[in-house]
Amino acid sequence: MKDPIRSGTYSEESTIGCSNVVQTFVAMMSDAWREFLDAKILYLLVSLIAILFFTVLSGRIDPLPSGRAYLDFSATAMSANLDELDLGKLTLTDIAKEHNGSVYWIVSDRAQGEDHPNSSWQVTLNRTYLPLFAQPENAADIQKRFGNIADVKLWNVREVRETTSGFITRIGFQSWQMTVDPGRDLRLLWPNRFTLFQDSLELTSSKGAPLGLEVFILQKLLTTGLGGSILLLISVAVTAAFVPNMVRKGTLELLLVRPIPRWQILLFKYCGSLLLVAALLGLLIFASWLVTGILADIWTPGVLFALPTLLLFFALLLSVSVLTGVITRSVTSAMLVTVAYWALLFIVGQFHNQVIDSRMREANIGRVKPMAIADSLRGSKSKREEPLRPGRKPFYKTTVGRVSEAIYTVLPHTEDLDNSVDRQLMRDYAVAGPFRALVESTDFSWKRGLGFTLGHTAVFLLSACLIFTRRDP
Amino acid sequence: MVVSIRSLEKNYGKTRALGGVNLEVERGTIFGLLGQNGAGKTTLVKILLGLVSSSAGSASLLDRPVGTFSARREVGYLPEDHRLPEYHTAVSLLHFYGTLQGIPRRERQSRIVYLLEMLGLKGREKLRIRGYSKGMKQRLGLAQALLHRPRVLFLDEPTDGVDPVGRKQIRELLLEEQKRGVTVFVNSHLLGEVEQLCDRVAILRKGLVVLSGSVAELTGLKATWLIGFDQPIPSHFSWNGGTLVPTETPGLLRLQCTEHVSSTGVVQENDLALDEFLAAAGVCGLRLRHLTRERTSLEDLYVALAHDAGDSL
Repeated sequence: MKDPIRSGTYSEESTIGCSNVVQTFVAMMSDAWREFLDAKILYLLVSLIAILFFTVLSGRIDPLPSGRAYLDFSATAMSANLDELDLGKLTLTDIAKEHNGSVYWIVSDRAQGEDHPNSSWQVTLNRTYLPLFAQPENAADIQKRFGNIADVKLWNVREVRETTSGFITRIGFQSWQMTVDPGRDLRLLWPNRFTLFQDSLELTSSKGAPLGLEVFILQKLLTTGLGGSILLLISVAVTAAFVPNMVRKGTLELLLVRPIPRWQILLFKYCGSLLLVAALLGLLIFASWLVTGILADIWTPGVLFALPTLLLFFALLLSVSVLTGVITRSVTSAMLVTVAYWALLFIVGQFHNQVIDSRMREANIGRVKPMAIADSLRGSKSKREEPLRPGRKPFYKTTVGRVSEAIYTVLPHTEDLDNSVDRQLMRDYAVAGPFRALVESTDFSWKRGLGFTLGHTAVFLLSACLIFTRRDP
Repeated sequence: MVVSIRSLEKNYGKTRALGGVNLEVERGTIFGLLGQNGAGKTTLVKILLGLVSSSAGSASLLDRPVGTFSARREVGYLPEDHRLPEYHTAVSLLHFYGTLQGIPRRERQSRIVYLLEMLGLKGREKLRIRGYSKGMKQRLGLAQALLHRPRVLFLDEPTDGVDPVGRKQIRELLLEEQKRGVTVFVNSHLLGEVEQLCDRVAILRKGLVVLSGSVAELTGLKATWLIGFDQPIPSHFSWNGGTLVPTETPGLLRLQCTEHVSSTGVVQENDLALDEFLAAAGVCGLRLRHLTRERTSLEDLYVALAHDAGDSL
């Protein structure tokens, strides 16, 4: 067979080819892709995501009758001056402290349709007040204030008509006939029953749970929680073999003899692995967004922020795996060191949360603990932050607290990133309570999390490249 | 010179792998590098490929310092005990290495088809390498080394695990490459094959070149002729110009002529003694029917060198 490229003798510059960075990158990418596919793990991961998808899709979210409770709550909340108040950090008891001398209540209500969060209502709202301390309110004020509690919007008042006037008003009584439509956040706060497998597995109590909280828990579970962790764990296990397999004797020489810098080989393999996992994470997060959207008809894109966060975290883990792989050339070592590093980050991160929590508790001793609207509606009583028992130090002042804080200072601040996603989701889904108060703490900063994580990743990768470049095969 | 090595040394800690190697290889030569395990062959090749740095001395490849990209672009390498990534097929692996080498897609495609056919892998190119036999892996390893049409080939045990037909194909392929001006470095323990294939050889021992020269020079040494006549040699026939050793076959005998050692260290025979003997036999009425000059095999030479040095084999 005749050589199709060139026959005859070689000239001085007869060798074909000239390497190109983009081509090299694409080649290393596709090599990583093949290796990943060969591990058969991709099929497992896609199957897991599919199972998750269909499991969640088998679920039902049914609103429980709660219209009157939310109308009452809106009326009660009008009794307070709620301007500039953040519901995420305050409770009804806090709000009551701001009582301005008026009391509002609902005397009659009638849903236009079923008692669910999409229905409009005909409502009669009464007010009584002390004429010496407060003024009569006009219909425009009521339209503006009813259903708005701090940054939460429960109802929109479509029409309002005052039915009282003259003497009655002057002695401190007013009444309005209103037509109210569901506000932006009503659906999120409305209690719902959540079941899986066509009603056969009930996941909420008989009182239900706010839809926003259900979606938050579901999305967190699927992305930054269990789902993401399983995916990352499997990805760590698979990609831990990439570098040791590449740098083993007999394989490495075949790569190093090519006219490309050594650091490119390592870095491109790293990027290839990262892009692969990015695609899988993207699939998982998109699937989570899609199923919760289909299930609850909530399409807020907040959960998509989990992708850069998880990817950044994986980039860090992969850099540890690559460095260990280059040094030890052992798949087992790369895997174990990476998982151990992950465990260290997790444990120290949890301690860091405890440190922040203990600081907040100490600063808020005697103040009312944060509570969610849904808990308030259920009749939960507000509790005050109690002082520590005598002789007991807050966690952040203990030796364990101090040591874990010192370790956290030098480690990548992945907890900051995790909490940033939670914060976004909680804001999107109007989730309130103690955990919201924690993630809203200014001690967490996504910028710091990003900087630290990227910095550590870069240091690990540079070290790996340096060792790889200088060591004889 | 394609390869030029001057006083090359390499130490791994306190272990000396190369102790001052000097070597020159001309273009278009098939050069055999021989030596026992640990003699420094692989280290020498790795230095030439730029995979390992030298401790002292200098080496150039195609008049460029070793290890530069321009030098590396021109070489093909088949390492000993190579382990090809088993998740690839033959085609995908060659595309992978070809892309790293920078070969344009179209050329890569046609070159791959050509090499797979030449090396007997056609029909099995879409199988995962995991399912390949040792011989098939060896052929594929050779294909990747030849893929970018290198000007210098470094092959470590190129026919290891390959069947006799495959070996012949590989030999032919390498000879074909040689005709095009490719310089081939062969590192092998199969001395018979080296003898068949190589133009020149160098024998390394403990990091030093102990013998080098053309294969003809190194193996055409024995001053012994196997001579056969049409009838047994008469008992009265005597000749004092050398030693005559009868064989078991009537009429066949060995003639050991006087030897001398040339300035290069190669033993040369004295052809004059043979002429005189044949003339004397002719006078006795003996007619010549067989004449072969016996040669030293590379293996004999190699073993003798090892014995002289007191190395264990």
